[in-house]
Parts: sequence; C-alpha cells; structure tokens
Amino acid sequence: MAEVIAIPGQPQNVVLPAKKGPRGEVFIYATWCKGCHICVEFCPPKVLAMDADENRPRIVAPEKCTACHFCDTHCPDLAIVVRKLE
Amino acid sequence: MNDAHIYEAHDLKHDEGQLPPENWFDRSETLQKLRKNKKFPTIWCSGCGIGIVMGALIRAIDHLGLDNDKVALVAGIGCTARMAVYMDFNTLHTTHGRALAFATGLKIARPDMKVIAIMGDGDALAIGGNHFIHTARRNMGITALVVNNTIYGMTGGQYSPTTPLGGRATTAPYGNIEPPFPICDLAIAAGATYVARSTVYHALELDKFLAEAISKDGFSVVEAVSYCHTTFGRLNKLGTATDMMRSLKDNSIAKSALDRLPPEEQAVNTKIVRGKFIDTDRPQYTQVYANLITRVQGGEK
Ligand SMILES: Cc1ncc(C[n+]2csc(CCOP(=O)(O)OP(=O)(O)O)c2C)c(N)n1
Ligand code: SF4
Ligand code: SF4
Ligand code: SF4
Repeated sequence: MAEVIAIPGQPQNVVLPAKKGPRGEVFIYATWCKGCHICVEFCPPKVLAMDADENRPRIVAPEKCTACHFCDTHCPDLAIVVRKLE
Repeated sequence: MNDAHIYEAHDLKHDEGQLPPENWFDRSETLQKLRKNKKFPTIWCSGCGIGIVMGALIRAIDHLGLDNDKVALVAGIGCTARMAVYMDFNTLHTTHGRALAFATGLKIARPDMKVIAIMGDGDALAIGGNHFIHTARRNMGITALVVNNTIYGMTGGQYSPTTPLGGRATTAPYGNIEPPFPICDLAIAAGATYVARSTVYHALELDKFLAEAISKDGFSVVEAVSYCHTTFGRLNKLGTATDMMRSLKDNSIAKSALDRLPPEEQAVNTKIVRGKFIDTDRPQYTQVYANLITRVQGGEK
C-alpha cells in the first residue's frame, strides 16, 4: 500500500496492489516547486509526470515508486520527500 | 481514479514566499535543518544545481550527527554563497571572495567549531584565490565547499578561472582563451589534506565526500561540479538544466574506473574525474597554535 498526500490538505489514501522489492511513498510540496523537470525526466519507473498547465509534477504512478531516492536527492528546491515503506 | 485524487495537490497555487506548514519540515531530516522563518522557494533559477549541493551538505552534516550550534557556515557572495542563508546553523554571509578569510578568523577564535566555507568558483579562485592557497598552506581546520559552475552566475555570466577553454561567456564572446584552474590539483599542490570531486548528478557521492571532508581535522576541499544553464548554458547552447544534468552523467568518470583504463586512454581522458584524490594528515594550524601557547606559557623559548 502506498499513500499519496497533498500538502497542505487532507491525506488521501490510495490502496495499491502489493509489489516485490522496496516501495516508496512520494510527497511533493508544490508551493516550492519551480517546475524544472529534473524529477520527472530522471525517475526510472516514471512515477512522476509533468503537468503542462501547472508546470508542476504529478504523481501518476505511485505504485511504481521503488524508493530509489533520485527525485528527493536531486530536487534543487527540496520540494520532494520520499519515504521508504517497510 | 488515482489521477483525479493526486491532481488535487496542484490546486495549490505557487505562492512566492509563503511559509510552508510546519508538518512539511517534519517530513525529512534534511528539511528539519532549513531555516523555518526564511522565505522559500530559494532565489536560484529553476533547476539550478546549487540546491542539490545544499541538500547534500545537510545530509552530510546530519549523517555525522553534529550539533547545529557547533557548525558554522561561512559564505562569500554569489549564487552559491547564498546557500548559507537557507540553513539553520551558525552563519556568516560575508563579502565576495573573503569567505576563507572570515572562516580562518572564526576557526582561530573557536577551534571547537566545524567551519565550512561555501564558495562559487569565482568566489574561491578568482578574487579569493590567494585565501584559498594560503588556507591550504596553513592547513586551517576548515572545509571548503566549492561549487564549480564554470562561470560567474550571479553577475550574469562573466568567465571565471574555471571556464573551459573556448567556452563563451558575456566577457568572452568569441570563446575563453585562458586555460582553467584544476581546483583539486591546485588544492593538493597548496597543501590541503583532503580533496575530492563529484557532480550534482552524483548527489549521494557528494554526501559521502562532504561527510569525510567535514570529519577531517585539517583543510579539506570538496569540488561539487554543477552547471549554470541560465548563463553558461545559454551562451554555449547547452540546453536546459536537465540537459546539463544529463551531460554531467555522461561526461564524468569515477577515478577508480579511470585508473583501470590503459595509460594511453587515461592520458586523453577529457571527462570530469570523480573521486577522492588525497586523504592525508599533517599538523592543523589551530592545534599547532595551541601547542605554541602551552610551550610559551610554560616558560619555554
Ligand atoms: C568585492 C566584490 N567584487 C565583485 C562583486 C560582484 N560579484 C558578485 S557575485 C560575483 C561572482 C559570482 O561568481 P561565483 O563566485 O562563481 O558564484 P556563482 O554566482 O557562480 O555561484 C561577483 C563578481 C562583489 N559583490 N564584490
Ligand atoms: S524515489 Fe525513485 S522511483 Fe520513487 S518517485 Fe522518486 S525517482 Fe521515482
Ligand atoms: S525536481 Fe523539484 S523543482 Fe524540479 S520539477 Fe521536480 S519537484 Fe519541481
Ligand atoms: S544564475 Fe546560474 S548559478 Fe545562479 S541561480 Fe541561476 S542557474 Fe544557478
């Protein structure tokens, strides 16, 4: 199970099928995001996609996140946090 | 259905300078070390690598478990130097090129502190070049974090002492004719006891090198290779921040991999070499000075 949280706002639980290997939970604080595309272009399983209208990433495939931490260690604006799910 | 849910995150409008809710800072150890009363997002251009180096520095300090009050960040002026104001440690935001001079004074007054000087390539090697070599020569217990974006970013893209030969800058419209300084070689030659280089693409390697550098007693240097897509990238048609980030991945090689290549291939390598180049020990200035005080106060000559 992975959870996607819109911050600030209400937690929104998305129940997902169990997968093998490590899983992660992505949080994006859209107010700090400058829309640079780094997270979207480099996320290996394409968890994120750019929202062209808002110029912000959207979490389009949360169940695919492997908690590789590329996006949160490379977001220049510290607008992403990934938590590894146990 | 998922989409409909997640989209709500974007109902948030970009509100410059709005303080984030407290619970955002609680989401990670990195965010915990940011200044909670500071205006975010940062001043940097969208996609600038300097923010990635800031994340690496915070994670390195966090990894070492240092007390925030025992860490002092000393910065000059520039896009890179601006980094210091966003983090919740002791901070000196000084003048362009003088970060190491202020850091030296601070280290002598407070040898117990972990002093980290944050500088751009212009800051560290052009106006601050003298401070750089003499801080290394004295082996002051300071960590120099040099973000090398090969240009003066803040002032609009003038060439710096690390601009590559032929690279265009606002002050080199036909291409730079001055050979660049190799920062790491210079640091080693001047006497630094720890010298390492990595890139913002290899952010976790930066964490590791920074943690090692900060743990050193003597003068340590970490060169973090970044990019300035806004000035250097535009003038040299190198594309967006993501293009320049990808080029750091493609055009860099680990020192261990380079060492395994045949000598003739090593000789013609033009890629950025990532790795630790020296890790040694020699008497650190404030310790030598303390010994001197003990000796003289003990009546010895
Ligand atoms: C004594 C002095 N000289 C010149 C300047 C103008 N100035 C401000 S930042 C800067 C260079 C910035 O380049 P760098 O240190 O490489 O940092 P970057 O902005 O690229 O991170 C210069 C020349 C100044 N502020 N003070
Ligand atoms: S942690 Fe890795 S897999 Fe998960 S969203 Fe970030 S980049 Fe993608
Ligand atoms: S890396 Fe950060 S700033 Fe860039 S698009 Fe992703 S969330 Fe936004
Ligand atoms: S001018 Fe260059 S170095 Fe400065 S914030 Fe913009 S991209 Fe970064």
